[in-house]
Amino acid sequence: MKIKCAWMYHDIMDLYGDKGNIMTLSKRAQARGIDFEVDTIGIGQEADLCQYDLCFMGGGADKEQVALIPDLLKRKDNIHQAIAQNTFFFLICGGYQLFGQYYETVDHQKIEGVQVGSYYSLTGKDKSRCIGNVVCDANLDGIHLRLVGFENHGGQTMNVEHPLGRVIQGNGNAFDAGMEGYYDGHILGTYLHGPLLPKNGELADFVLVKALQKRHPEFTLQDLAPMDNPWQAPARKAILDRYQLNDQPE
Amino acid sequence: MSKLSVLAARTSLCLLSMVGRGGSMPGTIALKLDPDSLSKLKFNGPVILVTGTNGKTSTANMISSMFEKAGKRVISNRKGDNMKAGITTAILTHTKMNGTVDADVCVLEVDELNIRHVLPYIPVSALVVTNFFRDQLDRAKEMEQLINSIESVLPNYQGTLVLNGDDPNTVRLALKAPKANAVYFGIGQNQYSVLNGLEAAEGKFCPICASRLHYDYYQYSHIGHYSCPNCDFKTPEYDVALSDINLTSQTFVIDQHQYQGPYEGMYSMYNYAAVAAVMKHFNVPATAFDAMLKDAPKPAGRNEHFTKGNQEVILNLIKNPTGANEVLKVIEQDQNEKAIVIVLNDKEQDGTDVSWIYDTHFEKLMDDQTKQIICTGRRAGDMALRLFYGDYQNDLSIEDDIDQAVSKALASSEHVYVIATYTALLVARKAITKEMGL
Repeated sequence: MKIKCAWMYHDIMDLYGDKGNIMTLSKRAQARGIDFEVDTIGIGQEADLCQYDLCFMGGGADKEQVALIPDLLKRKDNIHQAIAQNTFFFLICGGYQLFGQYYETVDHQKIEGVQVGSYYSLTGKDKSRCIGNVVCDANLDGIHLRLVGFENHGGQTMNVEHPLGRVIQGNGNAFDAGMEGYYDGHILGTYLHGPLLPKNGELADFVLVKALQKRHPEFTLQDLAPMDNPWQAPARKAILDRYQLNDQPE
Repeated sequence: MSKLSVLAARTSLCLLSMVGRGGSMPGTIALKLDPDSLSKLKFNGPVILVTGTNGKTSTANMISSMFEKAGKRVISNRKGDNMKAGITTAILTHTKMNGTVDADVCVLEVDELNIRHVLPYIPVSALVVTNFFRDQLDRAKEMEQLINSIESVLPNYQGTLVLNGDDPNTVRLALKAPKANAVYFGIGQNQYSVLNGLEAAEGKFCPICASRLHYDYYQYSHIGHYSCPNCDFKTPEYDVALSDINLTSQTFVIDQHQYQGPYEGMYSMYNYAAVAAVMKHFNVPATAFDAMLKDAPKPAGRNEHFTKGNQEVILNLIKNPTGANEVLKVIEQDQNEKAIVIVLNDKEQDGTDVSWIYDTHFEKLMDDQTKQIICTGRRAGDMALRLFYGDYQNDLSIEDDIDQAVSKALASSEHVYVIATYTALLVARKAITKEMGL
């Protein structure tokens, strides 16, 4: 089996080690005998996203992010088409914001998004930012996972119809939002860096399965062989212990 | 008022030194008594500020030492704190009761976010900027905001900017300083230059028109020879350039004269270039520059060697991808079989976000010579995960105790490298001397 992954704007949206997500997906796929093929897609590069099983976009610095907007908006129809054809979108921070209705930059410019979700993002008051460790309990089609990550965002995302999960520690979509991220079956958007996937291997597997299901609708999580990784538990524990939390979703 | 704050600072320093402290407390007290403490002082010689992401401590120390070799009396904050209170302490404790600063030259290392709190209040002759990289982004927020904070105090600055011409992020400062003159240092194309930059890179876009910058070559990270395809922004002509650089012998040439530096790596070459630019600008004799390089002490934990019999341990500080990549390049060049201890902490001064380890090329450790990697520190698990997902194949382990980690490495290899984040550096040093019996 094979997963074709499009890594959108890899050279701009690569803040806070988000490339670790691709490393994780690739290693976890290969460990199960699944080819994981990554194409990077930069500004001006022709690509049909419908050809891909998975599209990934990370976060970028405010100023650099603005540079890719015209190119991204040119792909808007193609993105909606790809979603309709079951390409799975995994989006972090800036990538997440850009798929909403619009987002507001630090200097209060309002920038149109891809408008996949009904959510939109405002800028933090007086340039304030949500920064710190985050623990949240996600519900992914009935699979409950405790996620551990790090947030660092000025954007305050509002009107999120389908949040990814409930915040146990940290802020989430906005200051004291209580809810983090967005998940609607086709798109998973989140503010969580860390990078997110290395410490949340089960989420990585979930993303792999969603991607595989485009061409193999019958494929489920149970079809993935278990994977030995002795380092995830201690890495998670270092964070969870600080907030006296255990490693089980509530 | 100014007399009072000078007195207060000196008295508190005296008291604190009796109880074995110092640091920034005297300056904090002086600033409480008189927030304008600094602006009321009289300086008789040049005041030089040094800032930037990497190399500001080495560069400031070399500048201080160079002036001392030239026979000048120098005030510096060499021992410590580079925030406003620490800087105030350094100056006020060398100030006479009439408010005259008692020195020929002031050389102050200043934290990037504190430039705006210092520069407008003292008569700065030169602001030296080494480079801007991602560094502890959770504290400094995005680099853009950090640069903006420095730019905000430049419109009225009338001194000299000493800028890294090969870093677009520092060169852009000159655009915001119409009353200042700019001096550029740099290094031309050489045997180490590469055509493709693969490391985490900032400054991809032109600060004037936001077009993507074109690079003829890179020296490391985003440092290199760039130009904007759409407007005039480009690597400026150098006022001071190093040529014939050799990273093995650590030698370089300025004005047909060869020098040998004490520090390794391309990033150190840029620090030498910054110091040389200061030398030229203030007409310091080249003999003082040379004497400084010959006598320069190695700062603790910057490529610090410990030896006993056949056993050698080398300790290095890592604090961001760029600095860490340079350290890893040096380790990669060592063809001996080796064991490595990585100490990863996430306290405030380390940066509470450890994601930068994924922007760092730990893949350089993934060769046959690296037999063992031991992870320790508050985020040892994250470090082990990073190596696991980077496909490291040899022996990997986590040790909670740093002494244990060092002892285990010493037991398995004659060549040990310890790399530690900021708050782990002193503990790592202690563990090394203890476990080696030094």
